[in-house]
Amino acid sequence: MPPAAETPPPATQIAPRTPPSGDAGSPGLAGADVILAVDALSKRYGSLVAVDGISFQVRLGETFGILGPNGAGKTTTLEMIEGLRKPDSGRITLLGLDAVRQRRAAQERIGVQLQSQALWPELTVEETLRTFRALFRRKAAVQELMERFALVDKRRALVRDLSGGQKQRLSVATALVNDPEVVFLDEPTTGLDPQARRSFWELIRDMSSAGKTVIVTTHYMEEAEELCERVAIMDRGRIMAMDSPRELVRGLDFDNTVECTFAGSVERERLLALPAVHDVKKENGAHFLFTTDLSATLAGLMGLTDGGGERVQSLQVRTATLEDVFISLTGRRLRD
Amino acid sequence: MGVRGFLQLVVTQATMLRRNTGWWISSIMMAVLSMAVFGWLFNPDTQPFDLALVDEDRTESSQALVASFDGIDNVTLKEGSREKEVAALEDGDRGAVVIVPRGFERSVGDGAATLQVFYDNSDLIRIGYVTSTVEAVVDGYNESVLGQTNAVTLEKQAVNTEDVRFIDFLTPGMVGMTVMWVNLGVGFMLVTWREQGILRRLGVTPLRPGALIFSQAASYALVSLAQVVIVLAMGRLVFDVDITGSYLWLAVTVLLGVLAMLSIGYTIGSLLHTSTSVNAVLNLVAFPMIFLGRSYFPLETPPALAPLVNAIPLTHLNDALREVVNRGGSLSELWTPWAVLAAWLVVCFGISIRVFRWQ
Repeated sequence: MPPAAETPPPATQIAPRTPPSGDAGSPGLAGADVILAVDALSKRYGSLVAVDGISFQVRLGETFGILGPNGAGKTTTLEMIEGLRKPDSGRITLLGLDAVRQRRAAQERIGVQLQSQALWPELTVEETLRTFRALFRRKAAVQELMERFALVDKRRALVRDLSGGQKQRLSVATALVNDPEVVFLDEPTTGLDPQARRSFWELIRDMSSAGKTVIVTTHYMEEAEELCERVAIMDRGRIMAMDSPRELVRGLDFDNTVECTFAGSVERERLLALPAVHDVKKENGAHFLFTTDLSATLAGLMGLTDGGGERVQSLQVRTATLEDVFISLTGRRLRD
Repeated sequence: MGVRGFLQLVVTQATMLRRNTGWWISSIMMAVLSMAVFGWLFNPDTQPFDLALVDEDRTESSQALVASFDGIDNVTLKEGSREKEVAALEDGDRGAVVIVPRGFERSVGDGAATLQVFYDNSDLIRIGYVTSTVEAVVDGYNESVLGQTNAVTLEKQAVNTEDVRFIDFLTPGMVGMTVMWVNLGVGFMLVTWREQGILRRLGVTPLRPGALIFSQAASYALVSLAQVVIVLAMGRLVFDVDITGSYLWLAVTVLLGVLAMLSIGYTIGSLLHTSTSVNAVLNLVAFPMIFLGRSYFPLETPPALAPLVNAIPLTHLNDALREVVNRGGSLSELWTPWAVLAAWLVVCFGISIRVFRWQ
């Protein structure tokens, strides 16, 4: 069975193995407060390597993000940790348990929201929460959950009659019916409008302040920047970098990005020779100039047009973000 | 998961099934409509037939008897010689031939006369109507002309079938069909849940596949029992169909039928990937079963099809239901169909638990 429809099968071809990338940029964590430790985890589907020997650790109470484009292997990684898929190799220690061999014991103590809102249309809000709660030994109070997620007025409404936002809130509420210690959210805000996304971030912050460890995948870099204490940047089944968003950006050798397109073609060497340009990448006809001195680079760029053929058609300047970290690591954007 | 959690799952799923109104109404409407159609509108029992009277005695008594057949609804009377009329019966042109033998009048005088009645044995459906028509006339003759019951009795010939009305035959068949439809449907539910990601969602909880499957079986059994009660109550109250056997054996039969059909539904739902293909295969399985399994008509099985018909679970569910409803339900007749249903159950549940996938 292929993964969920939104996630096309991971497109990574078998590549020469590189050393496990888990140590990329991440300081070793103290053993005592590690709630999840993933070690050299791999999964392949036929000849496609979905997850390629990744390692990382998550601390108790932390909000940890896995950032990457579609097909990077984020969902497969979560599914292996949650006990939905068996890893081909590697170890997962979740809450001190072997997440593969002791998966039911681990599943008692985790909460999961999958990408698809898996809800029964024929049940009411309250029945849905009670049904999910019946599956666990530890039980949260249904009334409290409905209050926290603003569903009290809808308790007797059938799920099929709920609005998209209400379904989304109910879906997250079902992940908390067992008062879990670790909550996994797989691209929870995909498809939400910006306002709904912001109010969803509040819910995640609430969970975090209630002491829960939150592990969230996303392909929105602003979401990772906004929510996560640490972020693993994942691409083609590997972790390319892992640190706090601020450190990741600071680790870049430049401060700003100039994105521009030209009327004609311009050789990369000429752009690289501009003042303060640290590196140049080209994607979809746009050039990305990574600069350590914005004014100097812009002045040089304007100077280029005097030659005639290389008139600047569009220009965008921004301070470096996680998006730039991703571009500088992979040469591609997070989203097309 | 404890007992309370399990019960919560059963109740939740029964609630979902109940709210799926279109589904459970349509599954029972087929049975109810069939019974109404065949019970009232096109009741093959009351179709007109030709009745031949052969008077070999030619006395006052015999002629009085023959005369009492005049004017019965739905019957066309024929008269002729024994050879000619029996030949016509064999050609399918007569419903029955009543022979008043030589010496009838003398026997009536002795108080113990006998009529020979030959039946068209090939038409199982109307045989009950034909026999009851002849019996009613003879009973009337005994009462009004001779003034004593059982003075004239019938000697039935070529009758080796049960004396059942069509609606008696149909009602257990409709129970079997309803049980099959509803419970095969679990395969559709399973694949829909998988497509909607609900099974994946359940797969990240400590719920075991076995607990899920058994709670579903329990909720389907509840819904099925309710439907069986409705169909049998309709048969009883509207068409006077008696349940001649024990309710316990009826319950055992229904339960085995429910579980066998569920297990087949699970196997289909586990082996196939999309709701469209499951739907197609369920129809492909269900419709031939209804006819080959004799839910509607007591078809004679062509020898080539016999192994198939005998393997079909619905055949055995219907057989067992008819045994309990129509024939008093003796264990010696019930154990074979029960064993076949149990075999389907064991094999198919075994397969579906093995190939069960959360996603």
